[in-house]
Amino acid sequence: MLLENMAMAFSAIRANKMRAILTMLGIVIGIGSVISIVSIGDTMRSMFASLYQDVGITQGYVQVRSWMIDDFRQSDWFTLDEMARVKEVFGDEIAYIDSSAFETAEAVFGRNKIRFEYSGIDYNYQDVQPVNVIYGRYLNEGDILGRKRNAVMNVESAMKLFGTENAVGKIFRTTLYGETMDFTVVGVYRKDMSPFQKLMMGGNNDNGSAFIPYTILTWPNDYFSVLRVFASEDADLADFFSRLTNYIAKVKGRTPEQLFVQTAVDEMGSVDQIMGGLSAAVGGIAAISLLVGGIGIMNIMLVSVTERTREIGIRKALGAKTRDVLIQFLTESAILSAMGGIIGIIIGTGLVSIGGMALGVPVVIKPLVVLLAVGFSAVVGIFFGLYPASKAAKSDPIDALRYE
Amino acid sequence: MDVKSNLIYSLGKKKNKLPDYMTKNISEDLIRLENLVKIYDTGAIKVLGLKKINLTIKPGEFVAIMGQSGSGKSTLMNILGCLDRQTLGHYYLDGIDTASLTPNQLSEVRNRKIGFVFQSFNLIPRTTAVKNVELPMTYAHILSKKQRRERAIALLERVGLGARFEHMPNELSGGQRQRVAIARALANEPPLILADEPTGNLDTASSVEIMELFGALHKEGATVVVVTHEEDIAAFTERVIRFRDGQIVSDVKKGGNKTCS
Repeated sequence: MLLENMAMAFSAIRANKMRAILTMLGIVIGIGSVISIVSIGDTMRSMFASLYQDVGITQGYVQVRSWMIDDFRQSDWFTLDEMARVKEVFGDEIAYIDSSAFETAEAVFGRNKIRFEYSGIDYNYQDVQPVNVIYGRYLNEGDILGRKRNAVMNVESAMKLFGTENAVGKIFRTTLYGETMDFTVVGVYRKDMSPFQKLMMGGNNDNGSAFIPYTILTWPNDYFSVLRVFASEDADLADFFSRLTNYIAKVKGRTPEQLFVQTAVDEMGSVDQIMGGLSAAVGGIAAISLLVGGIGIMNIMLVSVTERTREIGIRKALGAKTRDVLIQFLTESAILSAMGGIIGIIIGTGLVSIGGMALGVPVVIKPLVVLLAVGFSAVVGIFFGLYPASKAAKSDPIDALRYE
Repeated sequence: MDVKSNLIYSLGKKKNKLPDYMTKNISEDLIRLENLVKIYDTGAIKVLGLKKINLTIKPGEFVAIMGQSGSGKSTLMNILGCLDRQTLGHYYLDGIDTASLTPNQLSEVRNRKIGFVFQSFNLIPRTTAVKNVELPMTYAHILSKKQRRERAIALLERVGLGARFEHMPNELSGGQRQRVAIARALANEPPLILADEPTGNLDTASSVEIMELFGALHKEGATVVVVTHEEDIAAFTERVIRFRDGQIVSDVKKGGNKTCS
């Protein structure tokens, strides 16, 4: 019976092709825009997620809220000893810890003068933020402990400063904290980034950047304000950071509320929330066009029921029950809108995929979203078909047969 | 020759599945009208369509109901076909008191007990002849899809349209369309075939063919009631009931036996 209803519905739709296509158009546009907007949102979110993955999702920064407390004191700075103690207490839970040292200064090589961004790192930074060293070596434990003036930089910086990729062994001069030092390049690395990552992380492209031992940047007084921690991969991040905060608060004689803790997960969560909210809002607007499409279907079904009053009368005379007629017209409107939905999905995913290919971005189209869209379009069809179908089903056979 | 033996997949046994209200109370009369009154209420005035009709039709009869327009014959036809309800009185069809049935039960009665043949054919448009004939069986939920189709083709062959079963109604002549309608009326082997001006839209030759077909069906045992205003058509039948002003004015059986009304 269902198959026969579907066959009847298709033949009725075929009989009025143009009208059916125009009716479907509303649903096509509605579903198409919902799918493409939600997919664009999901794609953006996944791009941010991979960005954070790249920066290190287990990463977090802890510092005393110096800007919010009145009695800021010397002991609110961290010392290297305290860092060593934190490392000891948390052991394997900490994958990496450093003083988050960062400085910008002019690097000089011959006549070249370029602003360089120096990151002070520990030798095992490579474990949490791996880079591909193509010339020379990474910083080692000896460099860190011996406060050796060695540097590792990316190929782009090497090209800018030295005019060559393989800059291993070259020496450049820079002034940090008023002290002029000569640094030797011990390694050059390459890191591939997507256009999107470059956009989000690139900073000033005219600058160079280099890794140097954190022991140099934290020098000369060994005080620093921000502790940077990478939790181990398998850590429960929320739990770990709350314990870490409590411990540091105790060490510092502060309450946990007086500490400022910033983690990558929190940040990603808030970006995710904003993106999610945004795509929900725009998706909601697109859903309104689905509603309009649904009303279009109701309108056409009402016309169809009126046009086919006589057919309904014949069917009733031949023994069709209320339910039979109801199901027949419901099937028709559901098929009409499901077809529109399917075409909308094809167009929506097609547009997003083409756009993604053009921009070189991997597109995220969630099967759940597609499924929901089809389901929703069928529901729209059934909901808006219900009134016309029940109107048809309730008609009196004698009146329907007389109808001309 | 029995009509059932002509048709494959006779429906005889399937009828046992019918609900109680359709199977109990089987009486000898196929149609029994008791003091049937129909009043049309148009708001301002009430029009008496039928005035206390009493009538019985036995299984196997071939009856013509005659009268001019406005005589009440169409009103009676609609009530006999369970398309309309009487205002007062009783209509027993095959023992069923139709007054007590819900609209859905009336649909089922029409489906199983009555085969309709209309003046304007009333085939479903854009639907092949064979699909049209299958329709009553589909609504009755009997036989498999394949069996329904085979039976529909057999029925179309029976009315002389075997070669045209895939044609759409608009590809058929009037006479052919009426044959499809007759085949459809026979689909569920109803005890009553009700024809409302079946030749009204046909030329004389086709009219004769259609009436001969009804005659053949009658000879095979079917009960046929034809509503008409043409004497030539009524001449094919064996009993003529005449209406005027909502009343039966005469009821004549062939051979001169006049029964009281």
